[in-house]
Amino acid sequence: MIISDLISDLTSMLPDSHVEEKSSPNQFFGNDGDIIISPKTENDIAAVLHYANENNKKMNIAGNGTKRGFGGTENKADILLSLSDYKGIIEHTVGDMTITVKPGTPFQELQDYLSTHNQKISLDPSHPEEATIGGVIAANDSGPKRLGYGSARDHVIGLRMAYPNGEIIRSGGKVVKNVAGYDMNKLFVGSMGTLGVVTEIVLKLRPLPKYESLMLLTFEKESKEEIRSFAVQFLDSMMEPVSMELLNPELAEKLTGQKVLTLAIAFEDVESSVHYQEEFVKNMKSGASQMTILAQQEAKEFWKRFNYLFPNGQREQNGLAAEAVVKVGVKNLDVIQILKESDWLEDAHNVSVHAHGGLGHGLCQVHLQGAQDDIIKAIDSLRKTVKQLNGYAVIKHLPLALRQVIDVWGGKPSYFFLLEGIKTKIDPKKTLNPKRYVGGL
Amino acid sequence: MLRKKGLKTHDKHIKKLAAIVGPKEILFHKEELISYESDGFTIHSHMPKAVVFPTNTEEVAEVVKYCSDNDLPFLARGAGTGLSGGAIPLNGEVIISLVKMKRLLSVDLENRRAVVEPGYVNLKLTNSISDKGYYYAPDPSSQYCCTIGGNVAENAGGAHCLKYGVTTNHILGLEVVTPTGKIMEIGHDGIPDAPGYDLLGILTGSEGTLGIVTKITVRILKNPEEKQTVLAYFDDVADGSQAVSDIVSAGIVPAALEMMDKIAIEGVESAAFPVGHPKDIEALLLIEVDGISAGINEQINEILDVCKKRNVRSVKVAQDDEERAKWWANRKTGFGAMGTISPDYLVQDGVIPRSTLPEVLKRIGEISKESGLRIANIFHAGDGNLHPLILFDSRIPGQTDKALEAGSACLQACADAGGSITGEHGVGIEKREEMRFVFSDKEIEAQTDIREVFNPHYLLNAGKLFPSPGRCAEVKKELKAAE
Repeated sequence: MIISDLISDLTSMLPDSHVEEKSSPNQFFGNDGDIIISPKTENDIAAVLHYANENNKKMNIAGNGTKRGFGGTENKADILLSLSDYKGIIEHTVGDMTITVKPGTPFQELQDYLSTHNQKISLDPSHPEEATIGGVIAANDSGPKRLGYGSARDHVIGLRMAYPNGEIIRSGGKVVKNVAGYDMNKLFVGSMGTLGVVTEIVLKLRPLPKYESLMLLTFEKESKEEIRSFAVQFLDSMMEPVSMELLNPELAEKLTGQKVLTLAIAFEDVESSVHYQEEFVKNMKSGASQMTILAQQEAKEFWKRFNYLFPNGQREQNGLAAEAVVKVGVKNLDVIQILKESDWLEDAHNVSVHAHGGLGHGLCQVHLQGAQDDIIKAIDSLRKTVKQLNGYAVIKHLPLALRQVIDVWGGKPSYFFLLEGIKTKIDPKKTLNPKRYVGGL
Repeated sequence: MLRKKGLKTHDKHIKKLAAIVGPKEILFHKEELISYESDGFTIHSHMPKAVVFPTNTEEVAEVVKYCSDNDLPFLARGAGTGLSGGAIPLNGEVIISLVKMKRLLSVDLENRRAVVEPGYVNLKLTNSISDKGYYYAPDPSSQYCCTIGGNVAENAGGAHCLKYGVTTNHILGLEVVTPTGKIMEIGHDGIPDAPGYDLLGILTGSEGTLGIVTKITVRILKNPEEKQTVLAYFDDVADGSQAVSDIVSAGIVPAALEMMDKIAIEGVESAAFPVGHPKDIEALLLIEVDGISAGINEQINEILDVCKKRNVRSVKVAQDDEERAKWWANRKTGFGAMGTISPDYLVQDGVIPRSTLPEVLKRIGEISKESGLRIANIFHAGDGNLHPLILFDSRIPGQTDKALEAGSACLQACADAGGSITGEHGVGIEKREEMRFVFSDKEIEAQTDIREVFNPHYLLNAGKLFPSPGRCAEVKKELKAAE
């Protein structure tokens, strides 16, 4: 079928949705489509899916495109389903602290609205102005406050999903505690749009903290042992940081102006409790050479800048230089080793490295910039270290050309047959986000 | 082992299973099997074929493989405290009891995790790390005897999950024997966000229908620096439930926020742990706040203010750990306490959006009148998880059925209010039909599709969790399979 026929089919089927040909699909990040459809109703979403599935058309799904560089080895599919017009709040029950939203709603828009009710979604994903809540859920994103907040999987209590055959399947509900049937929400959160298109998301909310602060600590010797001993001592205390993020010197420089290994410790609670915890840190024998405290607005500004440090799929680069963002998962304290390793990568592979990792949970992000060949080599090196630590490295952002030569998911797990079984059951024709996920699912 | 008789049998399957786990680790005589006919849901029972007691993962896998290869239905069982019948051998299953796999395998305080075998008792974990100042957060009321394996199967909650989440939020890794006998490890070393669909998430709460968990990596937490507990008595249930909403609206996230009504109070005061609650009050709230010491008093004062605004009759703060422990013992033994005021009782487990509490309680009152049965209410008010306890006497013909009907009507009321039919006890056999209150046939089919991926021969714990084929799409599926 030629593109114009596809367009006329879909236009007549979906009078309310915008359908147009994409003159030049995104070569740089891929995951694009010959035509782009921006539906405004759930019915239209279901109809497009049904149509594509029946007619053996492949379909990519996008929100605002911040994760365009995450997974996938194809330049384009037949259709790009954009959810950026499918946005808004469906229901906010203030007293129940739950909210139901459409997937295309930008994350920050939700937070701004909720803040007028002294509530928030307890998540801090990157690029919150652009990233849609649907994308955050699809990628199970989390940010530097993961330690206190958890990830998207911890906050989704209900979903409506349009399955590839066009059926709408609800999972979970509107209550914060629910064990009726399988916890299907978990299956869909983080599935990168390979099982269905999320059309409605129910989230549980938390009250806005009454006060927040951020302590920035730097260390005399910047040695692994020194930081480890501080982290062990602090984690063994009864303090309740929402973040304990270690920043490599290059990343710290961008945020604080000082090129030195820095530990960012964030507190959110009533004011007296936050100050009490700051005092606790000051009184620890930490070996810290410098401590700065950013309070309230200053702390918010810091995290805002933090959330925009790394590239996203909306921005393309020029020339031979490339950027990669690698998510590394290791055991909590092994984060120190990953950060030290990233310093070494810089020298060994002629790339620039900005990295941070959470000492309370073990997730790191490593941002690499350099020539394409050097990036590939640096990722290989990093993966070797990660493997020794029993961890994993997933490349969250990389140009298409490089994704075609390196497995961004790092191979198949031993239980791949189950992942494949799930995909085959729900999307037997491989209609959705083809080859975007682990093991080419 | 318990068996008094020797291994005399002509049953080739029993012989083979005995060869796998050892002749002392299997029960198969009728009189030995009686206590395995049911679990905490005693209304239903069925005889198993045998009970085996493997002591390691390889034995579990071998038993599973044997059952799978020989078309023998099988299921896993922990302490048998489940309240919805998940471990009842409906099809004459071989029961794989995991109570002998009860070791604490490792504790890593620095990385805040512990690895346990499935038969390890929930409370033992907290007890074994409390001297270092750590604990395991999920605390179902049966925690002194229920196993962590069972907690994973049911996605168990507890009084303190309002702030800290339920079991699924604390599971970092699992070793699982699949229904065809393969051993797999998910969430290696307890590192979060392993690439791929969230199998930890789907396995947790799957009620033993997708696999048998043989090793569990859990997150452990540092004890809160301070804890304060408030007990508030109300003359009006509506005031009590409004106070619950006000506390949450004030931006406080209590560690626990529990409520009991008049009949429930009558029960707990007649049982083993009375604390002297006045008998004429309509509702009580048990509220616990924990966290950094410097911030606690501020929150407690706010809670006291809220209660006063909502016409509390009296409100007090626990003076010491002893008093707090007394209050909690009184609450946590609440279900069993109903045995002192009624020959039988049925525990239900619905969830509602918090704001609908007054209207749903009113409806439950009506159900009580319509059925002529008293209904006590004990619930986790903070997260809207109700436990209506239907009091009845099974010796009176027809009362058991009436109690079951009343229980189902309570769940319908929860579903009608936009809620769910179970918050922590699971569906099991008990609430299979009630699944239709919240899910369409298609949505149930979407779930049984997932079961087919894991449990293709459907020998593991069949007949649980989903409505029996009737109007349901499973019929169509069976027809299709028969074609």
